[in-house]
Amino acid sequence: MNRDHSYIAGLTRWWGAVAFAGFLAGCAEAVPQEVIDAVESVDQALMQLRAAEIAPSDYGSFARQWATLRTRVEAEEDLIRWPWESNDLELALRHLQEEGSRTVARLTEQQATRRRSAELQLAHIENRAKLISVQVSSIDSRLVLGQKPVETDLLLKQARTFYEQGLYGQSLEASDRASRNLETQAALLSRELGRYANHDHIVQWQQLAKDTIEWSKTHRAPTIIISKAERTLTLYRNGQKVLSYPVRLGFNGIREKRYQGDGATPEGRYRITSKRGQGQTQFYRALVLDYPNEADRRRFVVERKTGNIPALRGIGGQIEIHGVENELMAQTLGCVMLENPHMAFLFDRVEKGTPVTIVGALHEQNAVALALANLSARRDET
Amino acid sequence: MKLYKPMLPILCTMILATGCAQPPTDQINAAEQAVKDAEQSGAATYVANDYAKIEGLMGALKKEVADQDAKFALLRDYGKAEQLAATAKAEAERVKADAIKKMEEAKLAAMQAYQAAQDTVKTTQELVAKAPAGKDRAALESIKTDADALKASLNEVQMMIDKADYLGAQTKAKAIQEKGQAVSREIETALAKIGKGKASTPKKK
Repeated sequence: MNRDHSYIAGLTRWWGAVAFAGFLAGCAEAVPQEVIDAVESVDQALMQLRAAEIAPSDYGSFARQWATLRTRVEAEEDLIRWPWESNDLELALRHLQEEGSRTVARLTEQQATRRRSAELQLAHIENRAKLISVQVSSIDSRLVLGQKPVETDLLLKQARTFYEQGLYGQSLEASDRASRNLETQAALLSRELGRYANHDHIVQWQQLAKDTIEWSKTHRAPTIIISKAERTLTLYRNGQKVLSYPVRLGFNGIREKRYQGDGATPEGRYRITSKRGQGQTQFYRALVLDYPNEADRRRFVVERKTGNIPALRGIGGQIEIHGVENELMAQTLGCVMLENPHMAFLFDRVEKGTPVTIVGALHEQNAVALALANLSARRDET
Repeated sequence: MKLYKPMLPILCTMILATGCAQPPTDQINAAEQAVKDAEQSGAATYVANDYAKIEGLMGALKKEVADQDAKFALLRDYGKAEQLAATAKAEAERVKADAIKKMEEAKLAAMQAYQAAQDTVKTTQELVAKAPAGKDRAALESIKTDADALKASLNEVQMMIDKADYLGAQTKAKAIQEKGQAVSREIETALAKIGKGKASTPKKK
């Protein structure tokens, strides 16, 4: 019996010691490591999301709490808690983890939205830039825009690089600037070429052409009408259309000529002052016009006075209708250029003194007006 | 009672010592200065996460000081605040060093990109200068305008570098280089095309 008692007492002591040791071991850890790891992992996720940059206040609050709790974790590392004691540190960490996870979820969604919006905006502006470029090329008005297309292109490239680096804010900012630059381009085109879409201007040009044809009819003589927007030269005889050929203009021909070297083709009523055959011109054949005429000189003086023409620039001259110097040359400096066979045919059918009327456009639905309308419509769509 | 008598002076000394506990003002000021230095070194831009962390530490430090200040004078203990201040200062110094390093790296990358862009623009301008006057003028005038625009943009890169906007400068320089290469290819094609023709005498137009 005594042996039984001592055996039971020994067993009880042994189990008691094991339970106490286990109890102590269970109490040794103030906060489970996985709780700390979970907060650490939330912190990593926030850093990857650039929370400090995109949500500084949220991340600041998280970082402040995490710093406080981490200090407490370190301070209470060896603290033994009794099971009945509430572990407010663990609760605070779990609370921070939950709060941080919510921020991670919100920022993840926010980032995805920003990425989508940066991507859409960039694609949209790239498309608009392409459209403007195509329209501008179709009417040979690239030079009207000066340095703007390159500036836009650089901004779009920057926006693309920022986007690829995940810097959506910077990408949006760069594409915004590109968008504003495109608006400036559209406005510049409208300002410089708006007369091609202006009813009154077109009526004036139509009247000029009508008067020229009437003159041909009255004087039973040839006359030439050149339309810059349509890029055509039409020969009339006795008021009747004889032929119509495609032409090339100066490298900045769509504009109205203002001074020497601007590459623009003049508009107005001119006459052929001399005919230059082979050997008398660098071109195949040439018909020299009386540019500048009185109207050109008056306009030049006014524009010079208003400061619209650089002080050292002259009015220019030697505007001709000519053939092609060689087949590789695609453009002229302000003249009107014809293919050589066409030039040969025309050359034989006009004389010194033949009137040549150069107008911007003869139809309201001309290429320049259509290009401007197209750009305006696309802008309204957006 | 007799037992406690000899301990009385010790107890009094302890009470006096703890009663005189003051916030570690010098350490806190040093930590604040270190954080300010880090910020001035571009930490908020170049090591934003680390900088946010030291700001967090400073927040925790202020809270700890406020918590202790709110306690009864004899129970105040600023040991933890002292420890936080020391950690914040050490971290801020590390973050400052990292920020300087990262900024130097960004500056170097921006300068290299700028140099590469300058070389490309120079090549483009040399190609433009080779083009004979009077040939394919529309294309050449466009290219010349593009080359001028690229050169003007180089100035913007220099200004960005001067303002320490290295990331912006780097992306802009990269864009200029890409565009410059494209323009050079375009002009080489144009030159190959028109090079076969003879040069014209410039005319008054």
